[in-house]
Amino acid sequence: MSRPVYIADRTLLCAAGNSPTAVSSALWAGECTAGRRRLGERDFPYFAMKLAEASWLARAEQAIHLLAAQLGKFDEKTPLFIASSSFQIGYFEELGAPFELPAANAQFSRQLADWLGLSGPCYSFSNACTSGFSALDAARSLISAGQIDAAIVLGVELANNSTLAGFAAMELLSRTTARPFDVRRDGLVLGEAVGAVRLSAKPATWRIAGLRTGLDAYSTTGPDPDGGPIAALMADCLQEANMPASEIELVKLQAAGSPGTDLAEANALRRVFRERMPPLLSLKPYLGHTLGASGIAELVALLACLDAEQIPATAGFAESDPEIAMKPTVVRSNTYIERALLQLIGFGGGLASLIIERRQ
Amino acid sequence: MIYLNAVVTRNFTAAELPGAVRAALGKPLRRAATLTQLAVVGALAGLPPERRHLPTALLWQTTSGPRNETLNLLAEVCNGPAEPMPYDFLATQPAIAAAQLKPFLPGLQSATCLPLADETAAHWSLLLCLADNWLSAGRYAQILCAQLDHASDSASGHWLALSAAPLENSLASLQLTGTSPENGVPDTCDFPAHLSRWLAVDNSASLLLQSAAGQVPAVEFART
Repeated sequence: MSRPVYIADRTLLCAAGNSPTAVSSALWAGECTAGRRRLGERDFPYFAMKLAEASWLARAEQAIHLLAAQLGKFDEKTPLFIASSSFQIGYFEELGAPFELPAANAQFSRQLADWLGLSGPCYSFSNACTSGFSALDAARSLISAGQIDAAIVLGVELANNSTLAGFAAMELLSRTTARPFDVRRDGLVLGEAVGAVRLSAKPATWRIAGLRTGLDAYSTTGPDPDGGPIAALMADCLQEANMPASEIELVKLQAAGSPGTDLAEANALRRVFRERMPPLLSLKPYLGHTLGASGIAELVALLACLDAEQIPATAGFAESDPEIAMKPTVVRSNTYIERALLQLIGFGGGLASLIIERRQ
Repeated sequence: MIYLNAVVTRNFTAAELPGAVRAALGKPLRRAATLTQLAVVGALAGLPPERRHLPTALLWQTTSGPRNETLNLLAEVCNGPAEPMPYDFLATQPAIAAAQLKPFLPGLQSATCLPLADETAAHWSLLLCLADNWLSAGRYAQILCAQLDHASDSASGHWLALSAAPLENSLASLQLTGTSPENGVPDTCDFPAHLSRWLAVDNSASLLLQSAAGQVPAVEFART
């Protein structure tokens, strides 16, 4: 049995807004102002969610309750697939030493399920930046095979110093802003988000046409600059979707403004699309890089833009890098998009490509 | 239908693990976190050299996660000068194990880590269900399903090696059954031990793994 899998409902809270509609409006308006987050003697730009609660746990609960309210009605037994790279580490930071980690490292997932009002199976995925599409891949595999009928896939990445400090220690963060594909790009800007999609076997506007996860072991911190593994994965995803590259009308880039990863992604795109490059859009200058939540958060944000027929310009880009020799969208567009490719390139070598198609 | 080709269980003291890595690779694995070392030792034990180039996916779960490394990171970030040693941060990222495993398992195409939310319950039924779906669809030639855990003084890895096509020495065939049988083996961390016992000493024709939440199909193992 193999049946189509649809993206039925979606919801999102991130720095750009507290609903998909608010986010798409903010993106269309070009709003992308990051706050700052202090770390010892340094501080960094950071995209924080706008929430009233201050303590870590109360803030997490508030975010999930807001998310659940937007998701509409769903069966409490719906299987839940959670993607995160940091889970509740910010809570342990707040509690301080001695650090009492639970025996099961994803115990927080049970709390998330409770806050969502779900009592069915709960699975967690932690593949750094590709976690969201790993979770999506598992859920849609079960639905496609007829083993479940629906699933909620939740991406969660909440503010914490451990992740910020880790990236800072490796000098991977920009001190100013994210500049995807720009000659002056100098690193990532992190952010937080919670987003969810409800997948279903019942027809809805958007269908998952292809989804593949991959691995680029060139380095634990960055992909092969040649782009070969990324291109091979995109080709696999197109093959699964039974779609030539020329039918892709928009690419949602990974491009976060990282010198090495942006170059690898550009080289991969050139291999796949050659002279027929579709419009390229990066959402990270608006949302920040939300790591384990980024797959779901950017999927929901993109779908909101596509539904509104308002494709934003890529913020942060000003001047092409001669080595990259391609540029993202710099003007807004009201194009009606039917097929889009979404790219994730993860810290630790994870890769993922997703193709979504509008139902005819 | 898919096939089980190996069941591998490895338990180590903290002192033994680096030696096991050296024995498997012929050299030490530098700057590798405990979960990465466990991944390398177990994957190579589960797949013979002639099968390491075949398209492979790794689905692994963990109760402990990178616990010790996370404690170190928290201590550095909260009690130290704010920015940790880069390798301490890298060690807290389970995704990195796959990148460090790939040079020894060139066919590795995808890896997914599932941290567990409960001390005893496991997701073997989900991993095997995904393996069945993906192998049956021809997405990979073989899939490794694993559970890797460590504490301050010990480490363990449990591995099932599965393939789309039967091998000469396949141990069992697997198929998904629509309902979750009441007499099935529960989906817990020690499922591989049940499976090993069934293969070694139990004469029954089949073994059923029951999904914990009852929504994912049960998995039936049958002797080949």
